[in-house]
Amino acid sequence: MKKLLIIALLPLIIFLATSVQTKRTIELNESTSVWELLKALGEPEPNHTVNTEVRGYSVAIGKVIVENGFGSVEGKKVRLQSKHFVCTSCHNITKEDPDLSKVDPQARLDYCAENGMPYLQGTTLYGAVNRMSFYNGDYEKKYGDLVTPARNNLREAIQLCAVECSQGRRLNTMELESVLGYLWTLDLKLADLNLKDEEFQKIESHLKDNSKDHTSAIALLKSKYLQYSPAHFVAPPADRKKGNGLTGDLENGKKFYETSCLHCHENERYSFFNLDDSKQSFCYLNGRFGKYSHASVYQVARWGTPPHPGKRAYMPQYTAEKMSEQQLADLRAYIESRAE
Amino acid sequence: MNKVILFCLLFFIGNSLTAQDKVFETFKDTRVINTHSVEVLKHRNLDFRIGHRFGDLLGDNGGWPTFYGLEIAQDVLFGFEYGVSDQLTIGLSRTKGSGPLKQLINGTLKYRILHQSTGEKPMPVSLTVLGIGTFSTMQKSKDPDLINFFEETAHRLVYGGQILIARKFSSGFSLQLVPSYIHRNIVPFGDANGILSLGVATRIQMTKVFGLIVDATLPVSGSRPEGTGYYMPLGVGLEIDTGGHVFQINFTNATGISEADYIPYTTSNWGDNEFRLGFTISRIFNL
Repeated sequence: MKKLLIIALLPLIIFLATSVQTKRTIELNESTSVWELLKALGEPEPNHTVNTEVRGYSVAIGKVIVENGFGSVEGKKVRLQSKHFVCTSCHNITKEDPDLSKVDPQARLDYCAENGMPYLQGTTLYGAVNRMSFYNGDYEKKYGDLVTPARNNLREAIQLCAVECSQGRRLNTMELESVLGYLWTLDLKLADLNLKDEEFQKIESHLKDNSKDHTSAIALLKSKYLQYSPAHFVAPPADRKKGNGLTGDLENGKKFYETSCLHCHENERYSFFNLDDSKQSFCYLNGRFGKYSHASVYQVARWGTPPHPGKRAYMPQYTAEKMSEQQLADLRAYIESRAE
Repeated sequence: MNKVILFCLLFFIGNSLTAQDKVFETFKDTRVINTHSVEVLKHRNLDFRIGHRFGDLLGDNGGWPTFYGLEIAQDVLFGFEYGVSDQLTIGLSRTKGSGPLKQLINGTLKYRILHQSTGEKPMPVSLTVLGIGTFSTMQKSKDPDLINFFEETAHRLVYGGQILIARKFSSGFSLQLVPSYIHRNIVPFGDANGILSLGVATRIQMTKVFGLIVDATLPVSGSRPEGTGYYMPLGVGLEIDTGGHVFQINFTNATGISEADYIPYTTSNWGDNEFRLGFTISRIFNL
């Protein structure tokens, strides 16, 4: 009888055991994914979670698209996305700010120079999946209504970049999910947030105790990195011959020229306009600060260049967040000194 | 012989594997004036080119009657070149032809073997090999004394090769040597089918945009001694680089543009004021 009772109750016992909400366990260390941590604390999944069910989905394909623009992965060919650019032309794929919670173009320039990275106009793709808003601020002035679907949707932001910025083709569903899959491998890690010991312990205690309200822990984590990249367009100096009135630092100007300008212009890497370390290049640039054409550093740094037939891509501008007025003065001072 | 080939192969591969900074823009264009330069196109770049040679500026056939040669088109080139890879460029062009063979279709195959570089194992020069094939599509003549009688189809063909060796000494100065061999399947009586020549070219960059270019090709052939009416093609020009476009204005005694034309058939003499204005426009597209 007892045995019969146990056998009869067994399914109920199993049902009850499995239906008890299990606490999601996550190992907390430097390489812990910030998003995994947020989800463990109850944060809802973002709308750019990858659909891995898409036929042909592959993180490797996403990586090839982002880094090369085309290629072949495990026998699958990826058609050239853009004739002119790849994602890494304008975006790094590693951390590029020492403090992810702040916008500091000089700190970013120093960090990029120290780590052998280019200093680029586009925000790094590292941590892109941790951001919730894209094509922010003044980009609406540039792209108008095109920005609307992209602002809160990473998939649409990727497509907008693919078509408008890269002047290439839209990605198909498989390619888009693969790129997204690759971007998810670049999500922020706990080590990137520079948590203090007490902050780390707070997060740890919240993870261990499911009965707590995790709102403060989630807020703490999110305060350690920007939820979006602000973007404000800046006009060139009113008097282009005089400049912006700031005294330039030659060393910093050199750093900017070498890590930023030469990334695209050296050996015509991404531009038909070649720049190098020769006096001719500096003399050319120095003589044209005052102009209102794309030959002026002021013009292209603050307004960029429009697409040209045959090479429909263009030079993206530096927003205030990517190039401070001091950095612009530093660059001019360096160019002037090299042109002498 | 096999050991020599193996050594060369290992030498080239070895140089390509070591950390090197390649020297960029020895010349700004794939041509100097008449000669090719050591430059090849980048992968997926398409170069659309238009070249023109006017009539004699001065001399017996120039001056005011021909508006200093501007009313005469000695040769015209329309063509494309494409970068199959960063080392290999193929080209196809049509030239009017200023020598006895006209309506020329010119094909080129250009491969960069060495790239001048600095670094751990510096390479002092860049080296590119060029294969040329030209086919005359002009109408066959019924006069057997004329070169375009074309008794055989192969008589329409001119082919050859060049080795382009160049060094960029500084951002302002580059120098190139061009040993060449051109073979014409049919030649005028007394001429030689094969012509060896040695070309030299230089670029002096005055500003970022403007450069002075000079090239000359000396035929080293028994059929081209002084007094035969053939002269060394020599050109001087101004090159203008606007980024994406390279414009060139030149003066040269050569009337032909393709190698099948200017190397064997230059009969104009600088000393008799038989030089002309020419220009080239080159536009690069990403494909």
